Amino acid sequence: MATVTTMPKAPAPASAPARLRTLLIVLVTGCLAWGVVAGWTVSQHASAADDVVGTSEPLSLDAQQLYRSLSDADITATTAFLSGVQERLAMRQRYTADISGAAADLAALKAAESRAQAGRLSAIAAGLPVYTDYVARAVTWNAAGYQSPGASFMQNASVEMHLVLLPAARSIYAQESAQLRASSAEATGLPWIVVALVLALIIGYGLLRTQRWVSLRTHRVVNYGLLGATVVLLVGVIWLVAAFAVARGDLSKGVNHGSAPAETLAQADIAAAQARGDEVLNLISRSGDTSFEQDFAKVRAQLGPGHGTLLSTAAASSSGEPGARWVAAAGRDARTWYGVNQHLYSLDLAANYAKETQLVVQSAPGSSAPEFSSLERDLGRAITADQVVFSSAASAGRDAFGGLEAGIIVVALLMAAGCAWGLSRRLAEYR
Amino acid sequence: MFGDVMAGVPHNRQRSLVRATMRRHGKEHRLVVHRASREARGSGRTVPAGRTAPAGRTGRPWPLLATAVALPLALAAGCSSASPPGPVNAAAAAARGGGFPLTPGPGPQTLSETGSTLLYPLFRTWATAYHGQHSQVTIPTGATGSGKGIAGAVAGTVDIGASDAYLSSGTLVQNPRLLNIPLAVSAQQVYYNLPSLSPGTHLRLDPQVLSEMYQGQITRWNAPAIASLNPRVNLPGTRVVPLHRSDSSGDTFLFTSYLSAQDAAWSNAFGYGTVVNWPGIAGHPGLGRMGNPGMVAGCHQQVGCVAYVGLSYAQQARGLGEAQLQNRAGTYQLPSNASIPAAMQPFVSSTPPNETISMIDGPAAQGYPIVNYEYAVVSTRQPTAAKARDLRAFLHWVITAGQSSQYLDDFGSGPLPPSIPGFQPLPPSVAALSDAQIAEIK
Repeated sequence: MATVTTMPKAPAPASAPARLRTLLIVLVTGCLAWGVVAGWTVSQHASAADDVVGTSEPLSLDAQQLYRSLSDADITATTAFLSGVQERLAMRQRYTADISGAAADLAALKAAESRAQAGRLSAIAAGLPVYTDYVARAVTWNAAGYQSPGASFMQNASVEMHLVLLPAARSIYAQESAQLRASSAEATGLPWIVVALVLALIIGYGLLRTQRWVSLRTHRVVNYGLLGATVVLLVGVIWLVAAFAVARGDLSKGVNHGSAPAETLAQADIAAAQARGDEVLNLISRSGDTSFEQDFAKVRAQLGPGHGTLLSTAAASSSGEPGARWVAAAGRDARTWYGVNQHLYSLDLAANYAKETQLVVQSAPGSSAPEFSSLERDLGRAITADQVVFSSAASAGRDAFGGLEAGIIVVALLMAAGCAWGLSRRLAEYR
Repeated sequence: MFGDVMAGVPHNRQRSLVRATMRRHGKEHRLVVHRASREARGSGRTVPAGRTAPAGRTGRPWPLLATAVALPLALAAGCSSASPPGPVNAAAAAARGGGFPLTPGPGPQTLSETGSTLLYPLFRTWATAYHGQHSQVTIPTGATGSGKGIAGAVAGTVDIGASDAYLSSGTLVQNPRLLNIPLAVSAQQVYYNLPSLSPGTHLRLDPQVLSEMYQGQITRWNAPAIASLNPRVNLPGTRVVPLHRSDSSGDTFLFTSYLSAQDAAWSNAFGYGTVVNWPGIAGHPGLGRMGNPGMVAGCHQQVGCVAYVGLSYAQQARGLGEAQLQNRAGTYQLPSNASIPAAMQPFVSSTPPNETISMIDGPAAQGYPIVNYEYAVVSTRQPTAAKARDLRAFLHWVITAGQSSQYLDDFGSGPLPPSIPGFQPLPPSVAALSDAQIAEIK
């Protein structure tokens, strides 16, 4: 007897019924506590996975689309202004679609507005009509035959876009992708599941030691209540570990092969759009400013392809995935586009605006516009492919937690009931 | 139309959003009572070819500008005071404008300026007058061309860069702290050196003819294209020598904007800018000249020249012929105290908060086609609070007291005769926008 009295560590030897009562209280409380910790852990992970799939990822996508729509609207409106009448209808439709898209993305982001984003979203909400008003005035003056005032309004539109709207959209995207990373980390993080497992181990050990003590004390080989609690605990732990392993594997795959390369490609897309925007801005502003050329060189170094660049990082992440071929295509597009671009700024410095305009605006192959469009299209395809990988893997990961929270609660209640039943029957024998 | 995308937004909402953005940019400002509409527009100087322009200048279109701008500001400041009205308060009210002191500090201050050669004579006059009123403030000025004025403001090597051209969107995006603040209204004139023409003759020229002259396609002054515009003038067969600016120049920006606006061939081949890839003219290498003084001197020296020059060099250009330019409505105009404000009028209410607007070749039937705001390019971030305060005070003085005829019509070579237009004052609503921008200098 003395060998098992260590279980409930009492300062002085206690009577068997007292020990049984203490054991009963400790085990029932332990089982319920484990249920709370494990259930809470599952709910946290499930809700983080839910957040990744249902909120963070769509918002990150909206934010990226918002930037893309705004940037494309600016490039399209300016290009339409600089090019001939023939191209205006298609460009006008594209511009209108961009602005509508931006407004829809803005509405989606505002609906899920966090305090951190409120200022930036308001900046876009206030700046967008100012921008469209400038574009409308530019078009109106131009359509009436007054190109010079029209051009100055188009410049004002570009300034509003580049100084107000795009920086805000870029910040919103950065914030949303940081939120996506945080949600993914939370969904796949380890600390609480480790706590739940350690607690399960302690309770399991307690159950085994109690069964041994009870069997020695009462000369009954099996206490069915305690045995049932132990089996149920084992089932609960196996379920928990399996679900968590599956979910973590799926979510990690979704992040590493889906959202991470998609985010890298989105950054590449934003960098490319910025460089293309600068080309067009430089053309309409006739600034003769060499800093745009320097900026382009920076973007090129950042975008790649090449060691450590965005395109190469994305290619490595999506290797073996469907997006890989589009990333490779984007790398080829980027090289071709750079080839066109390197002539642009030398033409600008020589004030050869006519040739520069042709090279920036025309849709003929070999001009900047179609080469950039190819790059943008292939980046878009690669991003879409990566997002499909992410969505399916992340959804599978989220589904792995399905029913687990309720299951853990049931398991905990069964364990508590088993302990209570098993020990109370032994206790009854002392009355 | 692109504007259709705003169709779904209620008009009042659009306006409130625009106001919200203006507030965000710190550009909320009081509107100044616009008294211009009832002020004398004066008579236009539409002159038939071959005839002398009528003498006599009209009254200032906005003669009460200084009062119109200063009075509401002073009243507003006075009303906000809790003290009873009186001489002391009136002085305090006069000393405060759109939330900033209107007088410089007591300490010595230097506000350096460089840039536009067009604005230079007037700026130097303002600087001297201001130094006379506030001896602690010294304003060294420099005629280096608009391009250098902008570059100096970008680099922070001067406090005020003067420019005939507004900042390009590219420069603004790269340097978001720069403001372009209109200080006055100017125009570009086109001169020629044909001594055989009778004095007072004003040849008619249009953008196509000018474009062909600058491309070397019209090589003689008696070419049919020029003769058809000037049927009553006995044109000489002198060779055309088109001079252009060799420095980065707002004048070039304005002149080539005019050519581009009406001549598609020019627009497609050369376009507009402070620097242009000028076509070579066979037999005439080296047609570039430094600054407006270089253009005027070059034209005096070269019979057959054609040159675009800012309006502040009219006195130096005496003896040269001054062309009437065709506007969009098809009328031929000389720059005058009537035709310049007339050209500006359709753009006054459209001038955006950052005051970036081209008024080249606008719709006014009696308007001179090449008019522009003269800009001060200034950074919103000054190295010291004292410099910011003194800059604000000086620029505010320029757009109020500085708009007086004693400066705009008298900038160094004595008062202008009535036949020669001076700089034109800013319309009150534009001055209010300038004041709002000046208030951003911190």
